[in-house]
Amino acid sequence: MTDDDALVDFHEADARPPTAAVVASLAAAGVASTAGAVAGPAGGALLGVAALAFLVGSFRRSSRVLGWGAAVGVGGLALAGYRGAPAEALLVAAVGLTVAWDIADHGVGLGEQVGRGARVRRNVAVHAGASLLVGALAAALVYGVTLAVGGGQPVAALALLLAGGIALISALR
Amino acid sequence: MSGSRDAAVAPEAAGAGESEASDAGESLTNDLGEPETDDATAAEVSDAAAAEPTETPTDREHRREVATDRWLGIAGAALSLVGLGVLVRQSSLVLAGAVGVGYAVYARAGEAPTATLAVTRSVSDAAPEPGDEVRVTVRAENVGERALPDLRLVDGVPPGLAVVDGPARVATALRPGTAVTFEYTVRGARGDHDWEPLTAITRDAAGARERVSDLDAPTAIACTPELSAGGDLPLRGLTTVHHGRVSTDVGGAGVEFHATREYRRGDPLKRVDWNRRARTGELSTVELREERSATVVLLVDARESAYVAADPDAETAVEASVAAAGQAFSALLDGGDRVGVAALSPLDCWLAPGSGTVHAARGRETLATDPALAPTPSDERFYRSLWLRRFRRRLPADAQVLFFTPLVDDTAATLARRIDAHGHLVTVLSPDPTATGTAGERLVALERRQRLRTLRSAGIRALEWGDDSFPVAVAAATRRWSR
Repeated sequence: MTDDDALVDFHEADARPPTAAVVASLAAAGVASTAGAVAGPAGGALLGVAALAFLVGSFRRSSRVLGWGAAVGVGGLALAGYRGAPAEALLVAAVGLTVAWDIADHGVGLGEQVGRGARVRRNVAVHAGASLLVGALAAALVYGVTLAVGGGQPVAALALLLAGGIALISALR
Repeated sequence: MSGSRDAAVAPEAAGAGESEASDAGESLTNDLGEPETDDATAAEVSDAAAAEPTETPTDREHRREVATDRWLGIAGAALSLVGLGVLVRQSSLVLAGAVGVGYAVYARAGEAPTATLAVTRSVSDAAPEPGDEVRVTVRAENVGERALPDLRLVDGVPPGLAVVDGPARVATALRPGTAVTFEYTVRGARGDHDWEPLTAITRDAAGARERVSDLDAPTAIACTPELSAGGDLPLRGLTTVHHGRVSTDVGGAGVEFHATREYRRGDPLKRVDWNRRARTGELSTVELREERSATVVLLVDARESAYVAADPDAETAVEASVAAAGQAFSALLDGGDRVGVAALSPLDCWLAPGSGTVHAARGRETLATDPALAPTPSDERFYRSLWLRRFRRRLPADAQVLFFTPLVDDTAATLARRIDAHGHLVTVLSPDPTATGTAGERLVALERRQRLRTLRSAGIRALEWGDDSFPVAVAAATRRWSR
């Protein structure tokens, strides 16, 4: 539907996701794919497939397609990590993937509830900002901890550290 | 669009300005009245409380709070990355998984905030003409303590009004004390329209929990069309005993020749047929048609089935019926007849026949704003026999009925014949809502035409009008009709 059609035939219930959300999601997915390509070509390709799925899911207003896209993206992360990708690239790819999925899914929900024509930019910006902030903080925290404890620690030790962190958080709540 | 966006930003800027100004004022009073600081600040606080009467939150009804399950599976995905990392001895995978765990914590941490909003809605014109565009401005201010990171507002536009510009919805984020304003345009339609509560949907920042509440900000517009007088509507020969303009089959004083009869003592001399007296020598009297007034009830079919139109954007048969009934109402009232209004509807609507200016105003009000004749159908169930019993009880014995119906089902035709059979002469006036695009549409048109034919063969006058206006159709049909 072009803009002219929209003017001639105004319908309030245009349930497609708002443009701002789709664009922001694609940008984040692009960052994730680029970081994935740096980490490893196969993983990068899977992250590219995930970006495509986010686009398709946005156009078809389907959270299910978005979910499958996210699953493919996680598969891409696993493949890249298995092939020995550098931690920095993998962290950026993980945060990018999550933010991209989050905004796309948020956009689908917004489309359902307020529609494409409504003013949503502030809402999308706040949501995307919060999501990005959380990802950045989490990545910075784990990366900082890894640097602090030194590179030579066994992987199991890192996992145990993480398990301890989770236990601490759930105890605090 | 950009204009409305600017308008939305403006109140926030104004709000910020106000708070700065009040801060400045506070510091100023503190500087001046230093000896009695405690009293001054106490007065300041009470002033501030008194100066913000508008900041009371709008009454809200909490509808539901649900988990959206958006982040379902994030913890599983994160932990499987960690597990894989441990198995294949890749620390980067553990780190990526740890980021996922961070998101899982983020998703669980939030709680959907309560929409503590002060909502005001204003309309540019509370009494528009039908077809006028009305600008609606809604302002919602966050008067609570907490920020609303994800707020979606859906205004409860009355079902009878069409939104013609800008959706009546907005999604935004509000810090405490800030406000959002959105505007949209509705097109006025006949009737009283009350806004339904504004629906506010709040989510936490992660969008994991959602709370839906209704905010009650009552607004109403009333749209009362002027009644335009239509052409003369031919009535049938059921009249009252009062003098009026409907020619009857009763001989007496009048204008039009009716019959001659033998002279009786006391007949007025000017009615004696002097020509005949000269020719034959007999005295005879000329009878003229008496012209009397009628009692008419305008019955409008407003059952759910009557809300039909030829295409989705066209006006419904009920709208056409009400417009035609309005023309008939003023035309008949001007002609000295007593006119009443009733609706064939699940809701009760009855304006007893009457005359005079007050009655004219009341009739206009009834046709414009009675809920039974609303532009959208009611949800109640219609019981035919109950309705008919009540209608017959109210109908004056000498009343005739002008029945406005699209005739899209057999019930309307049956009712017309039953009312006619009870001695209230019925004229069926039918707006044509049928189309001829598909085979099904043509079949419906054929069925409707058959109903009209059956009614006519049963001795009920019927006239239909489609694209041409009601007075034109009346003028065309009147030529056909005998008295």
